[in-house]
Amino acid sequence: MDLITGLLTTAFLAGGVLALAAIGEVLAERVGVVNLGVEGLMAMGALTGIAAVTATHSPVLGFLAALAVGAIFGAVFAFATVMIKANQVLCGLALTLMGTGLAQTIGRSYSGMPAVATFEPISIPLLSDIPILGKAFFSQNILIYLIYLILPIGLSYLMFYTRHGMNMRAVGENPAAADAAGISVNTIRFCYVTAGAALAGGAGGYLTLAFVPSWSDGVIAGRGWIAVALVIFAGYRPGMAALSGLLFGLITALGFVGQARGWPVAPAFLSMLPYLGTLGFIIVPVIAWQKMRRAMAAPAALGEPYYRNVR
Amino acid sequence: MAYRIQRLPSSTPLIAFAARVIAVVLALLVTALILVITGHNPFELAGEVLSSSLFDSFGLQDLGVIFMPLMLTGLSVAIGQQIGAWNIGAEGQFYAGAFAATAIGLFIPAPDWLSLILMGVGGFAAGAIWILVPTLAKAYADVSELISTLLLNFVAALLVYYVATGPWHDRMTNSATPKVAAEIPEFWGAIHWGFPIAILIAIVLALVLSNTKWGYEVRLSGSNPSAAKYAGIPVRRHLIMVMLLSGAIAGFAGMLEVAGTVHRLQGGISNNYGYIGIMVAVLARGSLIGVIFTGAFMAFIQNSGIILQTQGLTTSAVLAMTGLILFLTAIGEELSYYRITRDKV
Repeated sequence: MDLITGLLTTAFLAGGVLALAAIGEVLAERVGVVNLGVEGLMAMGALTGIAAVTATHSPVLGFLAALAVGAIFGAVFAFATVMIKANQVLCGLALTLMGTGLAQTIGRSYSGMPAVATFEPISIPLLSDIPILGKAFFSQNILIYLIYLILPIGLSYLMFYTRHGMNMRAVGENPAAADAAGISVNTIRFCYVTAGAALAGGAGGYLTLAFVPSWSDGVIAGRGWIAVALVIFAGYRPGMAALSGLLFGLITALGFVGQARGWPVAPAFLSMLPYLGTLGFIIVPVIAWQKMRRAMAAPAALGEPYYRNVR
Repeated sequence: MAYRIQRLPSSTPLIAFAARVIAVVLALLVTALILVITGHNPFELAGEVLSSSLFDSFGLQDLGVIFMPLMLTGLSVAIGQQIGAWNIGAEGQFYAGAFAATAIGLFIPAPDWLSLILMGVGGFAAGAIWILVPTLAKAYADVSELISTLLLNFVAALLVYYVATGPWHDRMTNSATPKVAAEIPEFWGAIHWGFPIAILIAIVLALVLSNTKWGYEVRLSGSNPSAAKYAGIPVRRHLIMVMLLSGAIAGFAGMLEVAGTVHRLQGGISNNYGYIGIMVAVLARGSLIGVIFTGAFMAFIQNSGIILQTQGLTTSAVLAMTGLILFLTAIGEELSYYRITRDKV
């Protein structure tokens, strides 16, 4: 029983990073833009979180600063890919290199220093008494509720039950038709790519303010790329993105438990689990769930810049 | 008379080249500006970089040592591009090649010449094996190779780190394997025979692609897959071959690094070469001969970072600058399609 509670607690905590970044990437990809810069945005967010909390001693301000830095870099990326229509793959890779390099350069003075204040777990009365789930979910830091409840439910409602959400999805599916219907394709793309990047920065901030609580060079460790992959697995849905983040949190938690209990597997191999798992999760569904293909398909105009005067 | 900005369906090599030059110059300017703000003197630093890399024989050798792996990883990415595949996993295939070469060098007793040949074959094979799953997934299930190749980079890095500090570690250092017995002979200072071999591979592949039926079919499959399929070209088979070749070349780069330069396996042996290789290929605009020149340029940038480490700068700063160059190049590439035309009234 304790094992399951412990596993789930770590799963929610570790999965939050991936879930938040994946939800952000869902926003960008739903309007037709692939942002491969998540890894770099998370690095900048993680460093900003530590720097801001060191200066202000407030984790909330640290998280907000991480969101803001993500938004600033995201706006630059969106300007290049949406306004100028430069190649999204190249700009994303460039953003990853810039963010990672910049964060490591600036971060040298913060390296190895623990965060002076972190998001502390808060037990919610009554709910935290529920067996297993109470301890695992309702005794966590407040960001957990933002990541697993507020954002997925709010964004699902926005995307699938409002007129604005329909416009937004139209921009990702058929920008020419959306344009003809009077929707401003560039504005919608710019805003959601920037918002998605802000969440990626926030995911980095969450990492250093609630999960790892310190900055080091390799702290992101490919989580940004896993988040991008999860979006495919999640069928471009915010709710599913949060759930798949949780699933990967569980895989990470299994690795921790393995190390703590001294399973006869080298830690390096346990650390490989998330990457190999992600690879499996983007390949297997394509082969196994042929029928689901249509429902889980990528937005039709994903990765394609929209030129009004072509064709 | 009215001027109009127009997007043309294609851009000329000259304008694309100019756009890249401007992108690089802008990136250097931004870097210089940041250096000024942080209290450095960019002219002094530039002078130091030039005098200790281009105008110094040891400096030139250092440059050559970095050039080999960078040109080969760039070639690896550029080959994938011929058929429209993005190999973001050159970093991992590099590790895999280095891993296989070390295994052969340490555990298979053979005379040096035979050992080197086996290591070379092993490097090629390991690189190809490392990209096998992403290749098959792309060819048969249309899974994007962007993420699948990249994820395996982390696995390869962990594997190499594990064997170098664990089962294969040297009793003296603890962080690397013992020295591999066979070494590629050097012909000028630190520059070994891998240098001409690497350039030869690029030239041969460029000739094969531009002069054979196979090369033509590959290029057609890359630029218009449905037309190629309609013309009866086995697009899938070509895709698999080209992607495996791409991985094999990155693996060979890893083998050269072990057998020629480092002589042992250690964590982080790849030095971001795989990622900077993407930059090399993009600057060369997919030209396999161009990769030789852009590889030299990126080696210079990379080497500058190493020289400037004494000035308190880090290799991460160079990584950030590489990102900036890539970002501006992507923008310049798109802008090179635009022309300002004059309306005839």
